Amino acid sequence: MGQSEISHADGKLKGQNRIRLLGIMFSVMFIAIAAQLGNLTLRKSGEVVNPEVAAHEAARPRPDIVDRNGVVMATDIAVASLFADPRKISDFDEAVELITATLPELDAKTLREKLTAPGRAFVWLKRQASPEERDAVYNLGIPGVGYVNERKRVYPLGRLAAHAIGYVDVDTKGIAGIEKFLDDQGALYTASLSEPATQTTAPAQVSLDMRVQQAVTDEVAKAIVKFKAKSGGGIILNTQTGEVLALASLPDYNPNSNDKRLTSDQQNKMTSGVYELGSVIKAVTFAMALDAGTATLTSSYDARFPLVIGSARISDFHAERRVLTVPEVFTYSSNIGTAKMALQVGVEGHVAFLKRVGLLDRLVTELPESAKPLLPKHWSKLASATAAFGQGFAVQPLQGVSVVANLINGGMAVPTTFMKRSNEEASILSTRLIRPETSLAMQKLFRLNVTEGTASKADVIGYRVGGKTGTAEKVIGGRYSPNKNLTTFIGAFPMDNPKYAILVMLDEPQASPETYGFATAGWNAVPTAAKIIERIAPLLGVTPVFTEEDKAKLEKLAKNAKKEG
Amino acid sequence: MFKFFNGCLVVAVLVSGFFIYSLEHSTRALERQIAHEKKTISQEREAIKLLNAEWSSLTRPERLQKLAEEQLKLQPMVASQVVAEADLAAAVPDAALVKPSLDAADPIAAILEQMQ
Repeated sequence: MGQSEISHADGKLKGQNRIRLLGIMFSVMFIAIAAQLGNLTLRKSGEVVNPEVAAHEAARPRPDIVDRNGVVMATDIAVASLFADPRKISDFDEAVELITATLPELDAKTLREKLTAPGRAFVWLKRQASPEERDAVYNLGIPGVGYVNERKRVYPLGRLAAHAIGYVDVDTKGIAGIEKFLDDQGALYTASLSEPATQTTAPAQVSLDMRVQQAVTDEVAKAIVKFKAKSGGGIILNTQTGEVLALASLPDYNPNSNDKRLTSDQQNKMTSGVYELGSVIKAVTFAMALDAGTATLTSSYDARFPLVIGSARISDFHAERRVLTVPEVFTYSSNIGTAKMALQVGVEGHVAFLKRVGLLDRLVTELPESAKPLLPKHWSKLASATAAFGQGFAVQPLQGVSVVANLINGGMAVPTTFMKRSNEEASILSTRLIRPETSLAMQKLFRLNVTEGTASKADVIGYRVGGKTGTAEKVIGGRYSPNKNLTTFIGAFPMDNPKYAILVMLDEPQASPETYGFATAGWNAVPTAAKIIERIAPLLGVTPVFTEEDKAKLEKLAKNAKKEG
Repeated sequence: MFKFFNGCLVVAVLVSGFFIYSLEHSTRALERQIAHEKKTISQEREAIKLLNAEWSSLTRPERLQKLAEEQLKLQPMVASQVVAEADLAAAVPDAALVKPSLDAADPIAAILEQMQ
């Protein structure tokens, strides 16, 4: 009995234990669930990737491109591409009639052929349609007709600055100009513009100024017509910050057109072409000689006889046949004098200086279209002498103007850029190139060449323009062709503290009665530059200053105008 | 005792159930509203972009130049027309060149016409 009592009590005890065990297990489970619940809701796990965010990052919008004043130059707009699935269309006659009535540019016959072709499951009706067209077609309510949303890159300014901005392909991938830069070398910069919080992208701001760009494009275009030139170009550069304010290369193209097969004339000649800039390069030789101390503004050079090196003779175009002082060598653009200045420095010194100013290397800017300079294979004494006045080596026009800008801006080398840059950023990036005194002497020479020398037609009264002309005979079939010229003007203003450098280039300008039969730079590129400066100086905020001479000139001009009027 | 306690629990479940349901209902409404607002924002952004592009296209310097040459008889400014602040007093003529007529519909247009 006792045993059975014990066993009964035992059983009761066992049952209680079992319940207790169950209770413990339940509470352990509940605590575990509660803990995990708390863990998941309260603590944010960093490892879990939100699929929505990932999808958005993949389709990061392309940044707009705006000019230095915020004018939109390139932007993405939403477009819809309309398509049809012929298998779902029941009444082809009705469908074709309705669609062609809404999209009149479609041809009823070809559309019908496309839709009724056997086995077709997908037909594009119209790629990149406007929102109105999309709604109109969608509201027709034809079964099997739909649309997909796409993005299209548009350039609201059309041809203006098309070369610098470049363009994109159908998949909006940049393939030229700044557009390519944004995808390739500038990808990091592009990424820095995106704001994931709002899923927007800040615009990429370039250094170009569209008002200046228009003035340059317009005047160069007029000059091409006036002088019957083959092509032409113009550049405005900020000498202090290295920013390109305008870059025009004509003939240009429309970046909005779908057909981008550009002819060789339509290429960006300012950076993707190399040219012998001719006498403009003399400025570099002068800076070298003055900086090295082998010449001063008071030294003089004998230009009476042609300079003979080996079998070659170097003679002057504007021959003076006398001993010329250094400023005279510059204003008369004497080849003999300049070659002698280079020979004094020596071939090695000359090459080293050209390397230092950056004429021997490819100019690196944001633009991918950047040509390498064409240099003599061997730097002989003759090569050095001819290179002194710009013959025998070819560089990008942009390279030419940026080197001149560095020589006259106080002697600092500032890297050229197409993106907006502040003065502070520029001063961090710039390095000393030549002594400030040499730069000051160069400013004097440039100004003198406009007041008294070959560039006299560039003198826009009040804006203190300085500059150097260059007329290079084009090399055709390995020989210099005497009647096919490339005329260049590189200058800067205001010359007492040069802020803006300008380049104007005309390819094969013709002589006309108005130019008294001349086709040299002084008669075509220089007056064009003057017109550009007159238009852009007020835009750029350059204050005119008039000397007594200027005032006298202005009075004379006013009198002449009265007589004629 | 237990009955009363259980009754309380049932009431609590019902009350909290109703509370949670109404909370979720309003949350869903808010979510719908957020989605709608987000869509509107992106549509507005798209519209702003399109308008910006249109504005840029309409005010492109090339077009303005053409319109100005056609519509306005104005000439490009030359350096001699710029007067420094210090010389301003000397440059102002004694009598006004054009008198603005305030009763005209567009006084500024009237001045421009007189100047031409």
